[in-house]
Amino acid sequence: MNSNQKKRVFQIEAFKHKVVVDPKYADKTWKILEFAIHEIYNHNASGLSFEELYRNAYNMVLHKFGEKLYSGLVSTMTFHLQEISISIEAAQGGLFLEELDRKWTDHNKALQMIRDILMYMDRTFIPNTHKTPVHELGLNLWRDNIIHSGKIQTRLLTTLLELILRERIGEVINRGLMRNIIKMLMDLGPSVYQEDFEKPFLEVSADFYRAESQKFIDCCDCGDYLKKAERRLNEEIERVSHYLDPKSEIKITNVVEKEMIENHMLRLVHMENSGLVNMLLDDKYEDLGRMYNLFRRVPNGLSTIRDVMTSHLRNTGKLLVTDPERLTDPVEFVQCLLNERDKYDKIINLAFNNDKSFQNALNSSFEFFINLNPRSPEFISLFVDDKLRKGLKGVSEEDVELVLDKVMTLFRYLQEKDVFEKYYKQHLAKRLLSGKTVSDDAERSLIVKLKTECGYQFTSKLEGMFTDMKTSQDTMQEFYAAHGAELGDGATLTVQVLTTGSWPTQPSVSCDLPAEMSALCEKFRSYYLGTHTGRRLTWQTNMGTADLKATFGKGQRHELNVSTYQMCVLVLFNNADRLSYKEIEQTTEIPSSDLKRCLQSLACVKGKNVLRKEPMSKDIGEEDAFFVNDKFTSKFYKVKIGTVVAQKESEPEKQETRQRVEEDRKPQIEAAIVRIMKSRRVLDHNNIITEVTKQLQSRFLANPGEIKKRMESLIERDFLERDTADRRLYRYLA
Amino acid sequence: MKKEDTVKLISAEGFEFVIDKKAAMVSQTIRNMLTSPGSFAETEHGEVTFPEISTVILEKICQYFYWSLQYASGKETEFHIEPELTLELMMAANYLHT
Repeated sequence: MNSNQKKRVFQIEAFKHKVVVDPKYADKTWKILEFAIHEIYNHNASGLSFEELYRNAYNMVLHKFGEKLYSGLVSTMTFHLQEISISIEAAQGGLFLEELDRKWTDHNKALQMIRDILMYMDRTFIPNTHKTPVHELGLNLWRDNIIHSGKIQTRLLTTLLELILRERIGEVINRGLMRNIIKMLMDLGPSVYQEDFEKPFLEVSADFYRAESQKFIDCCDCGDYLKKAERRLNEEIERVSHYLDPKSEIKITNVVEKEMIENHMLRLVHMENSGLVNMLLDDKYEDLGRMYNLFRRVPNGLSTIRDVMTSHLRNTGKLLVTDPERLTDPVEFVQCLLNERDKYDKIINLAFNNDKSFQNALNSSFEFFINLNPRSPEFISLFVDDKLRKGLKGVSEEDVELVLDKVMTLFRYLQEKDVFEKYYKQHLAKRLLSGKTVSDDAERSLIVKLKTECGYQFTSKLEGMFTDMKTSQDTMQEFYAAHGAELGDGATLTVQVLTTGSWPTQPSVSCDLPAEMSALCEKFRSYYLGTHTGRRLTWQTNMGTADLKATFGKGQRHELNVSTYQMCVLVLFNNADRLSYKEIEQTTEIPSSDLKRCLQSLACVKGKNVLRKEPMSKDIGEEDAFFVNDKFTSKFYKVKIGTVVAQKESEPEKQETRQRVEEDRKPQIEAAIVRIMKSRRVLDHNNIITEVTKQLQSRFLANPGEIKKRMESLIERDFLERDTADRRLYRYLA
Repeated sequence: MKKEDTVKLISAEGFEFVIDKKAAMVSQTIRNMLTSPGSFAETEHGEVTFPEISTVILEKICQYFYWSLQYASGKETEFHIEPELTLELMMAANYLHT
């Protein structure tokens, strides 16, 4: 009724008719309450009147006998708990816990009832005198008289631990009872649970798992061991969820992790025939995933896996890229790299939770070993070349993209991207000029990818090549539209006008074309220069192709698809039956190395030998003589005669490309130095080197020696000067 | 009204008030009497005797129980108390923990 009183101050007094005179009042009232408490403990409460007991307790407190009531309660309860203690001690074997549990339930119920009838004391007397409230008092008395009684304390602990041990070795125990007892310990306060159970429990568990892991590791392989460890871990987690304090989960899992995993980590990873390396080799996704999940729980676990994986990856990768066997077939070489990458990609994806740090390890390993082989850029370009020439025929667009994307990942690992560009340009030029490219879309898509990866500069020339191809087509159409009529039925000419600089042209000596052809070429030249003033045309006869119609001895007719050089040679045989090497060389003026190669493919390749040579041998000698092979047959009407080209570059060619790459790097390094110095004005030597290396990283790894040379050259040309005071400093001269 | 949902409160003079358990439980003391785990006589018979509370006061108390339920459900009205009852009523309130 406190909510709506009239606002007047009242003095509260006790009921007036109860102004006690009877000196025995307190004793008498207490006797009633004491009797009631006995009855409650004896399960005899049904006859008691709550109101009467409450009123008595109320009056005792009101009449300042609270102290008597409280101490009486303590001694009565203690008396009962000691009786209970004796009956629990007397319980035999397995009944011990059950008796304890039953008595605990009884005590709780009695305590509840006592608290209810003594509620008034709980409400007023206890807060005023700072005593322990009834409920807590009951728990404390239980703790001191039962749990901490000498005969019960150790027996309780050993019983609990023994039950858990029995459960660990596979027996079924009464989990409900366990839960009740543990709950009791928790109710008695966190310190009781921790001191009387959790701490010894953790110690015993550590011993158990230490022994068990020792046993397992001696007899199991890594996969089995991990399975066992995982099962143990799950068992403990399940145990906690069934009958322990949830807060214990982290503690007990730590124990299992430490004893079963952390202490044996290295031994597990390096286990012979079944360790991490074997799992990687055999693609054991499940085992690897288990290892990842378990090791993740312990400090340094994942880094251990990662380190082993990285070193394994680097070793196998190193073997792969330096294996001379592999180097014979660039396409196979790159395919191997791709397979290896796919394999580890899948492992990281399936077993390692797509962990970023593992992906980084994978990337850095690839970067490490791909660049161990200086020919990697060339091979990757060759791989693309192969794919775009034939590999992707009949493959759906999505698959093409997939292959290209994979190639791009390898490309990203390259340090010498400019070398790749060089080769790629060469290969692309060959593809475009010979019309061998399978899909224009695929070509363009790759260029777009390269562009996003390395910027406009990287691909501008490549794109220029595509533009040239398109313009040439238009030019040819216009040329034939203008002059088609006067040309008649003779040979037709297709010219591809290539912009100097965009294409990897080799300075080549033009050969002497057959008269008919040169006339045609002249016509085109005058037409082209007529429409485009201020340009110069040179013929790149080393890059062209020709289709010839030939009739052989017995009248077999074939269409021969040959290179321009081969065409020049073959046309000579229209007027002669026998020509010596020297004669051919003189008339055509084809450079001797090219001529040898072209003759080799005309005379020495089985099934395509339209020429015959004397003496019969594999190689072309300066003294050889050549005849038309009248017996030439082929089941096809069209015969393609390839030039014997080494797909891979030969040693001198490699040197040459290398040299050109080095040449091309010089201006780039200089430009980078100038850019940096322009903004910094003054900088010391080491810093310049770092900055330049960083700027050029996306294209190649600059050599410090080379940077130094470039700086010297810039000093000579008055772009930079050394500081007069401090020789290490360089100054930019605007 | 079912018997289990009601409780009988008996005054010092023997007057019986039968009210809803829900209303009676506005008093913390009565609530404990009716819900304590052991089966006390009050729980078994569904009646509580108050030898120290007079009929007038107990009636007022019962009125207050119902008023309090209404007040708690948001109906804010005045609860009138005759001045001469105030003292005894407050002592009963202390006893009933209301």
